[in-house]
Amino acid sequence: MTTPPAKPALRAASLTKSYGELVALEPLDLSVPAGQRLALVGHNGSGKTTFIKMAAGLLEPTSGTVTVQGEQAGSLAARALLSYVPDEPVLYDDLSVLEHIEFTCRLHGCQDWEDRAARLLDELGLATWAENLPSRFSRGMRQKTSIVLGLVRPFSVLIVDEPFVGLDPPGQEAFVKLLEEAADGGASILVATHQLDYAATADRCVALRDGAVVFDGPPGEIELASLFG
Amino acid sequence: MADFDFMDALYRAYVATIFGGAALWWLALRVGGSAVASTTAHRVAVDGPQVVGLVIAMALAVGLRSGGRGGPLVLEAADVRHLLLAPLDRGLALRGPALRLLRFGATWGVGVGAVFGVLASRRLGGQWPAWAASGALVGASAVDGALGAAMAVSGARLGRRMAGWLALAALAWSAADVVLARATSPMSLVGQVALWPLRWRAGGLAGVAFALLAVVSGVGLAGRTSVEASERRSSLAGQLRFAVTVRDLRSVILIRRQLAQDGVRQRPWARLPGAPLLPRAASKKPWHDPQRPRHRAGHGSALWRRGCHGLLRFRATRVARLALLGALAGAAAVGAWRGTTPLVLAAGLALYIAGLDALEPVAQSVDHPTLLDAYPLERGLALVGLLAAPTAVMLVVGVVGAATAVAVTGGSTTALTVAPVLLIPASLAGLAGAAVSTVQGSPPLFSASDLLLPPEAVGAKVFFRTLWPPLVSTAGMLPVLAARRASGSVVQSAVSAGVPVLVLVAGVLVWVRYRDRIHDAFQDAMGGTRPRA
Repeated sequence: MTTPPAKPALRAASLTKSYGELVALEPLDLSVPAGQRLALVGHNGSGKTTFIKMAAGLLEPTSGTVTVQGEQAGSLAARALLSYVPDEPVLYDDLSVLEHIEFTCRLHGCQDWEDRAARLLDELGLATWAENLPSRFSRGMRQKTSIVLGLVRPFSVLIVDEPFVGLDPPGQEAFVKLLEEAADGGASILVATHQLDYAATADRCVALRDGAVVFDGPPGEIELASLFG
Repeated sequence: MADFDFMDALYRAYVATIFGGAALWWLALRVGGSAVASTTAHRVAVDGPQVVGLVIAMALAVGLRSGGRGGPLVLEAADVRHLLLAPLDRGLALRGPALRLLRFGATWGVGVGAVFGVLASRRLGGQWPAWAASGALVGASAVDGALGAAMAVSGARLGRRMAGWLALAALAWSAADVVLARATSPMSLVGQVALWPLRWRAGGLAGVAFALLAVVSGVGLAGRTSVEASERRSSLAGQLRFAVTVRDLRSVILIRRQLAQDGVRQRPWARLPGAPLLPRAASKKPWHDPQRPRHRAGHGSALWRRGCHGLLRFRATRVARLALLGALAGAAAVGAWRGTTPLVLAAGLALYIAGLDALEPVAQSVDHPTLLDAYPLERGLALVGLLAAPTAVMLVVGVVGAATAVAVTGGSTTALTVAPVLLIPASLAGLAGAAVSTVQGSPPLFSASDLLLPPEAVGAKVFFRTLWPPLVSTAGMLPVLAARRASGSVVQSAVSAGVPVLVLVAGVLVWVRYRDRIHDAFQDAMGGTRPRA
C-alpha cells in the first residue's frame, strides 16, 4: 500500500493580488515542501511582502489560493501551523517581554515553554530585558522580541519578513543559528530578505521582480546580485 | 493676532449661537426637574460657591499637570521644526496659537457654563438669562484660567513634579473651603459668580481677576515652552485632528491620554499567581519540536491572564481616575434620584469614560489586529474573552459609585438597599457602551454601504455611530429613574428595570462575538472582498 504524498508545507496556486489597476503579484505557483529553507528575494516593491501576507492570512488574494499543509491560509488550522514574523515588530504596549511570551504560549497550548523561552531570550541577548516593556525598546530589540514570539510557539512553517533589518551582527548570527535548528527539526522556513549572504545558504531561492517570479532554484545556480537588477 | 480671521470667527459664533441656543432652549424646557424649597436654595447660596470652586480646582489641576508635561499647546510638527528653530522671538511666534487655544476654551466654557446656568435656573428659580450669563462667565473663567495657568507652568519650566504639587495644593485649598464653609481660594471666588443670581458677592470679581491674571501670565510665558515637549506633542497633533474630523471619540480620548503621557507602569502592581519565572541557566536542549505535547488550548485562562497583566500595569493616576469617575457616577445618580434628571447623562458619561479606561487590554488587541489575527482562535471569541478582566474592574468602579451614593446620602436606608442593586446594570452598561466604541474602531473613511444611502442618511449614520456607545452606557442609569418613581418596593422596581439593561448588555456581548461573521456575510452579499489588513 502506497502512502499518500505529504502535503506541501506551503502551496500557492495561481495566486494574484491587485489593487485596482496596480498588479502587486502576477499569477504565482509555488510549492514549498516540508523542511525546506527558502529565501525570497527581490527589489523593493517586487511583491515579497504581498505574497508573505497572503500566506499568513493577512491579505485576501484577488484570485488563486494559498494553503498551509492543505489548510486555507488564515484559517484557524493554518494559524496554528504557521508562524509569521513581520518586518515591522507589532507588540502590545502594556505587556512585558515575558508576558508576551506567556500569552502566546498559553494561546497555542504550549507545555513547558519556560525552558524554550529562556533559551531564545539568552541566544538573542534579551534575557536581562525579559521583565521590561518592549514598547520602550529600540527598534532592534523590538525586532528581537518579535523573533522570540515567532519562534517560541509551535509551528510547521515559519515565515519571516526582512528579519535582519535593525539586528546587530550577534543578533543576526544567533537568528540564523536558530533558523537552522528549526529547519533541522523539520520546519519549513521562508525568509524574505535583501541579505545575499543568507540567501546563498538557503536550499532554494525564489526571486520576484515586479510581481512575477524571475528565478526559482538553488541559489548557487545564479549570481544573486543580478536578481535585484 | 495677524492670522485671526474676524469674519470666520464671527461666522462660527453665529452658527454656534443658533444651534447652541436652540439646543439650550429645548433642553431647559424639557428637563431640569422642579424648583427646590427656599431653605435648600439658601443652603446652595451659602455652600454652592465652594462646591463649584472645587470643580474649578479639578479643572485647574488638570491644566497644571498638562503644563508640567509641556502642554497645553499642541503645535504642528512643521511649526516646531521651522518656526521654533527660526531666529525669531518665540513669544511672538506662539502668541497666535496661545490665543487660538484660549478662544477655543472660552467658547466651550461659555457654552457649557450657560447650559448649566439655565438648568440651575429651573431648580433654583430666578431669570434664566441671568443664570446663563453668570454660568457663561464662570465657564470661561474656569477654562481659560486653567489654560492660562497651564501655559504659565509650561513656560516657567516648573516640571512635572512641581506642577503636581501645585495641583494638589489647589485641590487642598479648595477642599478646605468646602469643609470650612468659606470662600478664600481663587477657585471659590469664581464659584461665587455662578450663584450671583441668588446672592451677589463682590468677591466673585476678584475670582475673575485671578483668572484674567492666569491668562495674561500664560500668554506672556507661552514663548518659553520647551521645544522638546512641543516636538513630542506635535507628532500626535495630526492624529488628533484626524480623529476629531472623523468623529472618532475613542481615538480622541486615546490620543489626549498620550499627550498627557498617561502610559503604563514599568513594573506591575503585583505578579499574578503562577506567573512564570525563567530558569536561571538557559537549557541547551533543542528548542524546536513541532510534535511536542501541548496542553488542551487554554484560551480562557490565557485571555483572562492577559487582561489582568494589562490592568496590573495601570498607573496610579489611572486608578485614581477610575475611582473618581465611579464616585462622580454615584454622586450624579443621587442628584438624579433627588430630582435633577439630566444628571443621569453625567453618570452615564462618567461610566462610559471609565469603561474606555478599563478596556485597555481589549483596546490593545483592537489596535494591533495583526497580533489578534495570528492567534489560533476566532477574533470575536478572543475579544469576548478579553472582556472578563475589564468587567471585574468596572464592577469595582460600580462599588465605588455605590459607596459614594451611600456617603452622600448620609447612609440612608434607601441608598443602602438600592445602590447595590443599581450598580450592576450601571457598571455593565458602562462597560458595554465603551466596548462598542472600542471594538467598532475608527470610523472607515469610505464604506461600500454608503453608496446605497442618500447623503442625509450617511450623516445620520455617522451621528448615530458616534452617539450610540455613550447612549448604551447611559441606559444603565435608567433603573435609577424607574426606582425613583416606584410606588411600591423600590428594590423590586430597580431589579425589574435592570433586566432590560442586562439584556442590552448581553446583546452587545453577542455583537462583539459575532461582529466579524456578520460583517463578512454583509460583504459577501455586497459582492465585495473582505479587507483583512
